[in-house]
Amino acid sequence: MEFSRRHLGKIAAGLLGAGLLWPAAASAQDMPAPFDNPGDVEIALVRYLSTGDFFQAYLSGVEAQAKALGVNLRVLDSRQDAALQADMVDQAIALGVDGIVIQHGLTESMKEAAQRAVDAGIKVVAFDVNVENDAIPQIEQSDRDLARLALEQAIKDNGEEWKAGYVYVAGIAPLDRRNETWVEFKEKYPGIEEVAQFGTLDNPIANSVANQARSVVTANPDIQVMFAPYDEFAKGVKIAIDEAGLSDGINIYSADISTADISAMREPDSAWVATAATNPAVVGEVSVRALAMLLAGEDPGHNVVVPPTLITQDVLNTQDIKNMDELSQKLPQFAHADVAVPGWMPIPPRD
Amino acid sequence: MDSNLAEKPAAAMPETGSVRPRLPIRALLIRYGFLALLAGLIIFFSHATRGFASPQAAVFILQSVSITGILALGVTATLVVGGFDLSIGSIATSAMMAAAYVMVVLEQNALVAVLACLAIGALVGLINGIIICYMRVPDLLATLGMMFLLIGLQRIPTEGRSIAAGMTMPDGSTAQGAFSPAFLALGRHRFDLFIPNLVPAAVVVLIVLAVLIWFFLEYTRFGRMMYAVGSNARAAEFAGAPVKAYKIWAYVISGMFASIGGILLAARLGRGDIASGNNLLLDAVAAALIGFAVLGAAKPNAFGTAIGALFVGVLLQGLTMMNVPYYTQDFVKGAVLVIALVFTFALLGRNGR
Repeated sequence: MEFSRRHLGKIAAGLLGAGLLWPAAASAQDMPAPFDNPGDVEIALVRYLSTGDFFQAYLSGVEAQAKALGVNLRVLDSRQDAALQADMVDQAIALGVDGIVIQHGLTESMKEAAQRAVDAGIKVVAFDVNVENDAIPQIEQSDRDLARLALEQAIKDNGEEWKAGYVYVAGIAPLDRRNETWVEFKEKYPGIEEVAQFGTLDNPIANSVANQARSVVTANPDIQVMFAPYDEFAKGVKIAIDEAGLSDGINIYSADISTADISAMREPDSAWVATAATNPAVVGEVSVRALAMLLAGEDPGHNVVVPPTLITQDVLNTQDIKNMDELSQKLPQFAHADVAVPGWMPIPPRD
Repeated sequence: MDSNLAEKPAAAMPETGSVRPRLPIRALLIRYGFLALLAGLIIFFSHATRGFASPQAAVFILQSVSITGILALGVTATLVVGGFDLSIGSIATSAMMAAAYVMVVLEQNALVAVLACLAIGALVGLINGIIICYMRVPDLLATLGMMFLLIGLQRIPTEGRSIAAGMTMPDGSTAQGAFSPAFLALGRHRFDLFIPNLVPAAVVVLIVLAVLIWFFLEYTRFGRMMYAVGSNARAAEFAGAPVKAYKIWAYVISGMFASIGGILLAARLGRGDIASGNNLLLDAVAAALIGFAVLGAAKPNAFGTAIGALFVGVLLQGLTMMNVPYYTQDFVKGAVLVIALVFTFALLGRNGR
């Protein structure tokens, strides 16, 4: 828990700093070129994934930061078509945009497209897809930290010896990174016994996972902890545990958060006790800020990591948090990230 | 089609004195092979896993197939008239979104939400039927188009967002409505049956609809006429049957069943999740096609569809209990479908001729 306290301090300092800088940064004249004339700057967001709460919030963050900068934003959405996404990068190059944010995708299909954009003199940042290019900063929500925060809470709540069910689908980059942490934890704490592993990405995911989880808890009634490091998984597991009437005996730990997740965690006797999450809107803002720094000739660093926050059922209940807006208001470390914020950078207004 | 021959294998062979000794084994295999396989699976899983042989397990297997089962019963109606409905998966997800929209955004009660969903299902089915019968668009193409149309349409009101209580609307305000408890009960309430809180409402809905559609197709004049339309539309037309009306009704039934599936999905999830529903479609079609092989029917039939759905459910839940990963399960599901189709078309085809 040392981690979150350290970050809290940093973030609080950052907030204070950002607050002080806010009036100065508000006017366009103070921003470096090309943002002295932001209406002429056009950036493109090229998306691979777009359905789901996370991606909706990510887009709202991108939009908010683009608006704060005063630049034009163009959204190209390939809807999980890897080839189309690569074509869209070429389309953005042809349109002559100044900067591109690549959001998710496959390394194999995006690597060359991203290189073409760089060759065309366009600044590029990539979120959650490794395009293997030194000129392109990688924006990351730290998946390893997400998994670690949730699992540390599981150890805190349940001790070092428990039987676990684990929800995982291999081959999805963020889930693979979260899986690495899970494997490390099992080595570090030999008392953790994984008695069942399951998972599927069949649409609607929560419904399919609920069906699986129901079988798993029936076959393994001694499971104490369910580690479901993706909120759709956690939703499915919670449905199954509720249906089996086992919510007293099992705790769910997950990653990610949305308004629907908050209400699920706050239901009476909810088995979903904690989740670790990065605010997707903040990740969206950071993506645009990192791109803006590149455009202004500054270096945001190769890995731009947005730190996660642990959100427990207790915190939600004691602070009476009902939706994402209230979560941002009452947990300021969730609402902001002191990442990629040079002095001139305008920050989207908060309510 | 040779469906009438296959339906009554014993009656079809009145004079076969010399062939008779060989027939019963084969006839028995054809009639009861699939049911025996199902029984064998259940016995196997009962021994191989803990907790499979319990009333609770039986119930959640039924629950896991309740939504796809209802969709499959609907698509069976279109198969009976010689058609096909590819739009059921997206009708179900559109109904789910509509239910969530009506309650969360429009702040209406459960009854309005259910009626809105049923109306959507019936309307889409009607449009499907009209396009197919009067515009002469082939059924697969018409319903494929409808599928894409609905996948897009369900996202327009919320600009692509999923719907949950307290969601942020496109204009930045917060939705005030919530899922009504009465609506959620459709997906979550459990009836007592020997054991308290045993049978979920969704399972009851599945069983009621299965019995209804089975009785309707097998024992009512309307249902028998639908089979007649399916086996030879031209002959049925010469006999004076309003073929187009029967076909349109089949699509309306399919649409309404799909929307009922969507209602149950929304009630179980408690939110309107953007989804294409393609997996629902594929699982439902698989169940209906497996149903061809049950009791050696070699034709779409409601009893077979229900058994087909149950078969897939038993298989998948049993495999999950044995910790088998999802891709192996997809493989097994596909294998069962292929075997059932081979069984239907090769074995029964030969028998019929």
